[in-house]
Amino acid sequence: MTELMRYLRGAYRIAWKDVVGDLRRRATLSSMIFFAVSVLVVFQMAFEPTRQEALRLLPGLLWITVLFTSLVGLGRVFQAEEEDGALEGLLLSPMPRGVLFLGKWWGNLLLTLLVELCLVPLMLVLFNVDAWMRLHLVFGVLLLGTLGLTALGVLLAAMTQTARSRETLLALLLLPLVAPLLVAGVQATGAVLGSHGPDATPWVRLLLVFDGVYLVMAPWAFGWLVEE
Amino acid sequence: MLARWGKIEIWLGAVTLILLGAGLWLAMTAPADFQQGYSVRILYVHVPSAKMALLSYLFLTGCSIVVLWKKSETADVLAQASVSVGAAFSVVTLASGAIWGKPMWGVWWAWDARLTSMLVLLIIYVGLMGLRSALDPGKAAKATAVMAIIGAVDLPIIHYSVTMWRTLHQPASFSKTAGISIAGPLLIPLVVMAVAFICLGAYMVLVKARAIEYERRIEALELAEEMGHEEMHHG
Amino acid sequence: MALLKLRGVVHRFGRQVVLRGVDLTVESGSCVALFGGNGTGKSTLLSVLSTRLRPRSGRYQLSGFDALSDGESARGKLIFVGHHTHLYGHLNPIENLRFFLDLRGVSRSEDRLHEALEAVGLARFAQRPAGGFSAGMRKRLALARTILAPPALLLLDEPHSALDRQGAEWLNGMLGAYIEQGGAVVMASHDVARLAPLTYRVAWLYGGKLWENPPDGTQKVEATTA
Repeated sequence: MTELMRYLRGAYRIAWKDVVGDLRRRATLSSMIFFAVSVLVVFQMAFEPTRQEALRLLPGLLWITVLFTSLVGLGRVFQAEEEDGALEGLLLSPMPRGVLFLGKWWGNLLLTLLVELCLVPLMLVLFNVDAWMRLHLVFGVLLLGTLGLTALGVLLAAMTQTARSRETLLALLLLPLVAPLLVAGVQATGAVLGSHGPDATPWVRLLLVFDGVYLVMAPWAFGWLVEE
Repeated sequence: MLARWGKIEIWLGAVTLILLGAGLWLAMTAPADFQQGYSVRILYVHVPSAKMALLSYLFLTGCSIVVLWKKSETADVLAQASVSVGAAFSVVTLASGAIWGKPMWGVWWAWDARLTSMLVLLIIYVGLMGLRSALDPGKAAKATAVMAIIGAVDLPIIHYSVTMWRTLHQPASFSKTAGISIAGPLLIPLVVMAVAFICLGAYMVLVKARAIEYERRIEALELAEEMGHEEMHHG
Repeated sequence: MALLKLRGVVHRFGRQVVLRGVDLTVESGSCVALFGGNGTGKSTLLSVLSTRLRPRSGRYQLSGFDALSDGESARGKLIFVGHHTHLYGHLNPIENLRFFLDLRGVSRSEDRLHEALEAVGLARFAQRPAGGFSAGMRKRLALARTILAPPALLLLDEPHSALDRQGAEWLNGMLGAYIEQGGAVVMASHDVARLAPLTYRVAWLYGGKLWENPPDGTQKVEATTA
């Protein structure tokens, strides 16, 4: 029990360190938010959707924005660990590798959720979509998708951390793997908003499967990745 | 270890050549399908290469597990080779699918569940190549092995989700066209071609793996020589 | 029983064999200085001792734990200060130390943290982000960890580099006290002169093996580097 508490506390401290560091430097969070807003503006300029079209396109646009915005955040997940060999320091602490992964994941998850919290209301306002009564359902679907997206994303960020042109590589690796997440997320959001057919259940189930697989697999794979 | 497989390589190449020749001859003399006409013949390439693209990934997954488990360099060389070979087979699958699709569906490309999954598979192969070339050799083996295993777990989910997605939008008739129910005289050339492609895949992996092994040896020798020079300058 | 026991450790990077069967035994309350020219594997050996690098074969026992199968417990017994000091630039020294201690599951009062900073001569900088610190200040801050959570084994890679003469004297004093209290030190060093005040055992890495006496051929290398 006390061992478990020590692990959870360690993971929490790693996440805390990342989030506090980000807020102090105003680095990732603000660039993610401004990136998301830019995507919305560019989308509006390119398509000029009517209100009807906007409702139909909203789920897809929401998930594309989330996906690309998370890439901005993931590119920086291990940046703080690079200066002064801090990742080595984490690996030298008496913690299982899975706990270290958990900490890094929680930090990124929190930042991504904060961005989403700003993004959704902004989209409804900018595209004149009246879905305020279903906002909680949209957030529910988003949360499910974000769990798996960030877990896989942080793992791939660790993998590409020392790679040349790592941000391109991260996108190349992440995008095909999250295809199921994108499909299920868009369909479930559409169903929740009433624009993509009636039933969100099978898609939510798919999201849960994806989350389950990566929450089990990512900490384990991280251990393999960092061991020398 | 692979360096001593030169004889096997030659024999495997010869068998592949004979089987491919026989398979192609059978395929070209096969009667036309009463629905699909002569365009059915492209399936003799399309179907075996699709199977090989998947089989290569299966092999890659096996090699990757051995890499993580045993730190085997031979397994890593084989994994690297099977990525290139698998990518080549998925390109052939997609190209032949498009050529077949034009007369059958009237379009080069349809977002059919199988074609979409195959395209995603190709992107994963390309990602694996990119990952290997972007990392230091010391780290590349482990990272690509982990990535390949992640892909192996993800591929069934991708296929399932894409199938669910397509059947939602198109009734079954369209997506079923990719399925084949060939009988009798059309089946024999397909079986021969399938065996020929398995040999071809194994042969390509072997040739590529041996090339990679020699490449790595040369690099190691060059490195050792450079370090030797450095010592001399210091001494 | 010896604190640290290394037997037949072999490691290679790719085809290049670095360690060819290294044996090392270290008792509590003693200090071992590893000597050897560039590329003889001093850093590799330290990485193995820190459990960061898993050797291809051999056995490694630390404080009664099998460090190769139970790295987590072994890591709880040691602190490694190498060329990197594993500090976060956006956190101040207190926060950096607190973070380190939390990952070890050690709790220390705010006063103890300040005392430790005092001891390493960084009390004035307690509230400054560590990002602006010089290499010497970083090393001092990293060593403050060993004061707060004294490990059974302290691993040091070139501990005197980045420190000025005063700093080196302070470090020797600190190490002396730590060894006196039963701590063990294994360090890689080039700097024989600066080690002088310490009592230590010498081990030479040459040809992938560890020698208690300088084997033929190493003296020349040492003469050029020391």
